[in-house]
Amino acid sequence: MKYATTLNDKTYIIEINDDRHIVVDGVEYAIDFASLAGQSLYSLLLDNESYESFVEEREEAWQVLLRGVLYEVRVADEREERLRKASGGLAVSGGEFSLKAPMPGLVVAVPVAEGQTVVKGDNLIILESMKMQNELKAPRDGTVSRVRVKAGDSVEHNQVLATMA
Amino acid sequence: MFKKVLIANRGEIAVRIIRACRELGIATVAVYSEVDRNALHVRYADEAYSIGPAPSRESYLRIDKILDVARKTESDAIHPGYGFLAEREEFAAACEEAGIAYIGPKPSAIAAMGDKAVARATVTKAGVPVVPGTEAEGSLRDEEIIAIAPQIGFPVLIKATAGGGGKGMREVIRPEDLSGALAAARREAEAAFGDGNVYLEKLVTGARHIEFQILADTHGNVIHLGERECSLQRRHQKVLEESPSPFVDPHPELRARMGEVACKAAAAVDYVNAGTIEFLVDKEQSFYFLEMNTRLQVEHPVTEAVTGVDIVKEQIRIARGRKLRYTQEDVSLNGWAVECRINAEDPYNNFLPSTGQIKSTILPTGPGVRVDTGVYAGFEVSPYYDSLISKLICWGEGRGEAILRMRRALEEYRIVGVKTTIPFHQTIMNSHRFIAGHFDTRFIEERFEMDEDRELRPEIAAILATLVAHRESQMAAQIVQRGERDTSNWKWVGRYERMHR
Repeated sequence: MKYATTLNDKTYIIEINDDRHIVVDGVEYAIDFASLAGQSLYSLLLDNESYESFVEEREEAWQVLLRGVLYEVRVADEREERLRKASGGLAVSGGEFSLKAPMPGLVVAVPVAEGQTVVKGDNLIILESMKMQNELKAPRDGTVSRVRVKAGDSVEHNQVLATMA
Repeated sequence: MFKKVLIANRGEIAVRIIRACRELGIATVAVYSEVDRNALHVRYADEAYSIGPAPSRESYLRIDKILDVARKTESDAIHPGYGFLAEREEFAAACEEAGIAYIGPKPSAIAAMGDKAVARATVTKAGVPVVPGTEAEGSLRDEEIIAIAPQIGFPVLIKATAGGGGKGMREVIRPEDLSGALAAARREAEAAFGDGNVYLEKLVTGARHIEFQILADTHGNVIHLGERECSLQRRHQKVLEESPSPFVDPHPELRARMGEVACKAAAAVDYVNAGTIEFLVDKEQSFYFLEMNTRLQVEHPVTEAVTGVDIVKEQIRIARGRKLRYTQEDVSLNGWAVECRINAEDPYNNFLPSTGQIKSTILPTGPGVRVDTGVYAGFEVSPYYDSLISKLICWGEGRGEAILRMRRALEEYRIVGVKTTIPFHQTIMNSHRFIAGHFDTRFIEERFEMDEDRELRPEIAAILATLVAHRESQMAAQIVQRGERDTSNWKWVGRYERMHR
């Protein structure tokens, strides 16, 4: 299986054909790759060099925490890569955005109203959790189409708080 | 000695206090809220009692319920830990009334130091320097504050009289911004503490936050255990502490002077037990009294590491009426200690709290490493309490060794299941400015980036992500094929056993 893996604008062509070998931009390495603790923590022996890392998928990208540094990596297999090229690599920036609670908590304030236009970085909801007030911000410019909570509401993890168009 | 001590707290500090009691041969009583049934302090204590639902005000802040448990269990003493009821005058008084020893200062000392204006007036009388401000004037109206401000000199800091933790605090650089900032600070203070009173203070620029640990017994002896450097803060919350301070250490005469003043400030309120005097220190080595914390501090282990004094055990002895076992001459600082506060927060996402189950954890060990934690694999980190889940303390012969050891220990530490501030501390340990000791209270907010000075391994990261993506797509393909057994497991076991008879 061939993958095009992109990180900081550099793309690596990575080929995985069996469990013991990997080819990175034409160079072959011996690997021993194991999952530790059931999830997200992995151990890699790459030509016997030992690496341990947290790897998690978040919003279409892989977050790799390695030796205290976080990398954001995009992995596409060949088929996806061809499709992406065929579509001209159009980035979709519009569409609806749903703000979800990143953790359970108590809504302290809702500084926006339905129909209000906001710019990227504006506070949409203030959520209290672990005795801290957390500002949940708009990820881009847009209009607040729906506010689903009010101050004083308790919310669950991943509950939709507001939507933006 | 006491026979039984009740610990009115949770998390790592409750565990810390239980450990001290165990070593002294004292039985322990834990109290817990409904979500803390499986917490480590409940598992470690000799007895444990549920005191109500998860929100603190219905459990850990319920003085009546805690005292009921203390009476029922015939506890001789109560240790409040830090936070929750630790600096509540009425709690110390209620313990006294119930005939139960409070392991901490007298209610009057908590009250005197708890109101910042009173505290500053009291220590000023004892000859302790304070930051110029309106603290002694009591509660002023906005017009009065605006009139006084030019005498103090801009920039100034607005602080809540009842405040703490940075709430109700505002910096004002330009005189024309003062009235707006006052209104905002009062609103915040009113919401947080139910008291909108504020005062003005000169903003000391390039300031370091340095505090002295003191111990005072009931026989009138007061000593200090040296200083802690607490300048590394985020949103006015300490994130990392060390002892000694790289700023004070080259100047033993400064340490002696500050220590003496700290003891004087404690004596001014007839202080008993362990306490901490916080100072602001400017570049010219002028220091000003900031406040006194009338309790055990989160960062007490760094002092324990360099002085060899077990502060919690000393607290218990003092509460029992014993004399201090040390004189000032007995106290010397040996080596260097650094503490990193590991919070369940995502340093890559604006330090958002992270809750959930800890799936697995590997603690760093080895020479010079101490971990104080209240969590373990399988424990659920809930959104109800503060995000501190562990403290990692490393000792070294010198500051260099302590930092290298901390780097090593952070690298070993694995916590799976919640996001933690471990990568944030790894970045600090690699920061040239931190290593050189060049930092003040603004360092993290103004001159610190998560990705500075790091050795980058993008290719390895790319390989790791690809391997995981590959593994997931393979697994997804297999899940479709994985059918349930077409018959019950009991039947299946029966057939299996018959077959192997």
